[in-house]
Amino acid sequence: MAPVTRAGAAQPLPPPPTLTEQGLERYETTFRQHYQEWAVILQRNAERLARGQYSLHWLDTDKANWGRRAKPSSRGLTYTDINNVKPYGDMPVEADWRNFTARGSVREPYRHEMPTIEEYTVLDRGEVWADNVITLYEEAKARQWNATRDIPWHELEPLPEDLEKATCQLCTFLTEVEFVAGDFPAKWMYRIPQDFLEVKSFLATQIMDEARHQEVFRKRAIAGGGLMHAAPGFEWALQAILQAPTHTMGTFLLNLLGEGLVLSIFRSGEMIAKTHVDKEIFRRCLQDEARHVSYGVMQFKYYLDTHANREQALEEMHRFADVGEQVILSAFTEPALVESVAVLLGGGLEHIDNGMEGMIKLWSMLIDEYLQRCERAGFPRRGRCTIPQQMPWRAA
Amino acid sequence: MAGATATQADAVPFPSVAWFQRLADLMNADRVKHEHLGYVDCVAQFTVLDGGPGRTPWSVQITFEEFAAVDVREARPADAARADFALEATLGTWRAMIESIAGGGGRPALDQTLNHLSHMGTPVRVVSDDPLRRDLYFRYNQSLQEFVNASSAFRTGFSS
Repeated sequence: MAPVTRAGAAQPLPPPPTLTEQGLERYETTFRQHYQEWAVILQRNAERLARGQYSLHWLDTDKANWGRRAKPSSRGLTYTDINNVKPYGDMPVEADWRNFTARGSVREPYRHEMPTIEEYTVLDRGEVWADNVITLYEEAKARQWNATRDIPWHELEPLPEDLEKATCQLCTFLTEVEFVAGDFPAKWMYRIPQDFLEVKSFLATQIMDEARHQEVFRKRAIAGGGLMHAAPGFEWALQAILQAPTHTMGTFLLNLLGEGLVLSIFRSGEMIAKTHVDKEIFRRCLQDEARHVSYGVMQFKYYLDTHANREQALEEMHRFADVGEQVILSAFTEPALVESVAVLLGGGLEHIDNGMEGMIKLWSMLIDEYLQRCERAGFPRRGRCTIPQQMPWRAA
Repeated sequence: MAGATATQADAVPFPSVAWFQRLADLMNADRVKHEHLGYVDCVAQFTVLDGGPGRTPWSVQITFEEFAAVDVREARPADAARADFALEATLGTWRAMIESIAGGGGRPALDQTLNHLSHMGTPVRVVSDDPLRRDLYFRYNQSLQEFVNASSAFRTGFSS
């Protein structure tokens, strides 16, 4: 029987379990639930070892695709080269292997003994595939660069204060953008099953690209004076990208629309750069960004082309774009972005009005490029775009 | 010193297939640099709007594959669809860029890079009927910049 204590003499309650303890307890519970199934496999294998016997079942190639050797092409051995070997390139329309087994391996005999990874929820190939994804993956690997080594940092010299502040403000903005640009593919990558391994591989390069971009912009700002102002308009837009309800909707918002606009900013950044260091930074980054835009366009096209009800898909995407364009608009009207670019375009704070004239031209151009990309994907958006085709700016 | 001049007897004339072929040869001879930059897979057209006979347009197409420029050929208007994108500018614009590259020892002035010249659509215009093919210009921009930067390694002659 538990000892009875009076209220006045009560001992302090034990501290609540920490998050680590709670997590560990859940993990242990799950382990015990699954252990029944594990134990069968463990016992079978342990007993065989104890008997001194081998299985050697893995030498049986009856159900394997054994002996069809992949041949390298001029660039080495690409995914395309190995996918040309039947049936390794056969990709399901709907993935039903929600575990870590490799597409094309002997796995059917073991299906009933293997776990299901509940987190793999993006099972529709139409939600992730793009016909250029293998090309983009190979290109991404080949065109990686190093923000520490490949930028001529030793040539960086101080700019006049207004230009330096504008440059650092632009870099601060871009650092925020790159955070979500990395987190979005990371969020979805672990929801995509392994049968779409080529897509996962490409997303891994995008995550690396975006890590390098935030690195290079952070370095540029701190080497030039310091990080400047965060901006609320950006934050709402970035949250909207991260919270997109489906992968295709999110990649439309991030890669086709958002990165398309960021690509324009990078091209502008290269154009208005006041040092060779900044030129190099923006030129390197815009190349990476163009790959992501290309994936966004072709992923969206594949989604529409393969959807069972194209009209329904188009209407849903229009509904999504009606909202998505507005959140992107909120980012691209933030003074921390618009004004810093205008100062750089004009050549100084006293010429900001001239810079805004340049911004007006840029605005029209980047909206037109966005609409062209929509059309390329099979998404006629020109008559329904909610972003004004002319920049909402009236000279004082 | 190599570079852009109008008078040197050993200068390679611009615009000409020979001038672009020299750039291709230099690119192919410097494979290490281009391996570092990465794959380039596109057909780029350079057009000199007043570079042909009677100040008519003159164009050349360069086919890039992997780390090399594998083909250089003069292009007629009927060949335009073969190019992923075309960079169009007057002879004066190209000349200023080439002279800037030569003057910088292989690095153009800040306002003479390909992107700077083309970003606003003037004085260099990027032409393509397909946004995806046009985006190749951006995907390979550093390599294309290095491609033209190599012109500092030889003398360029201009007809006027």
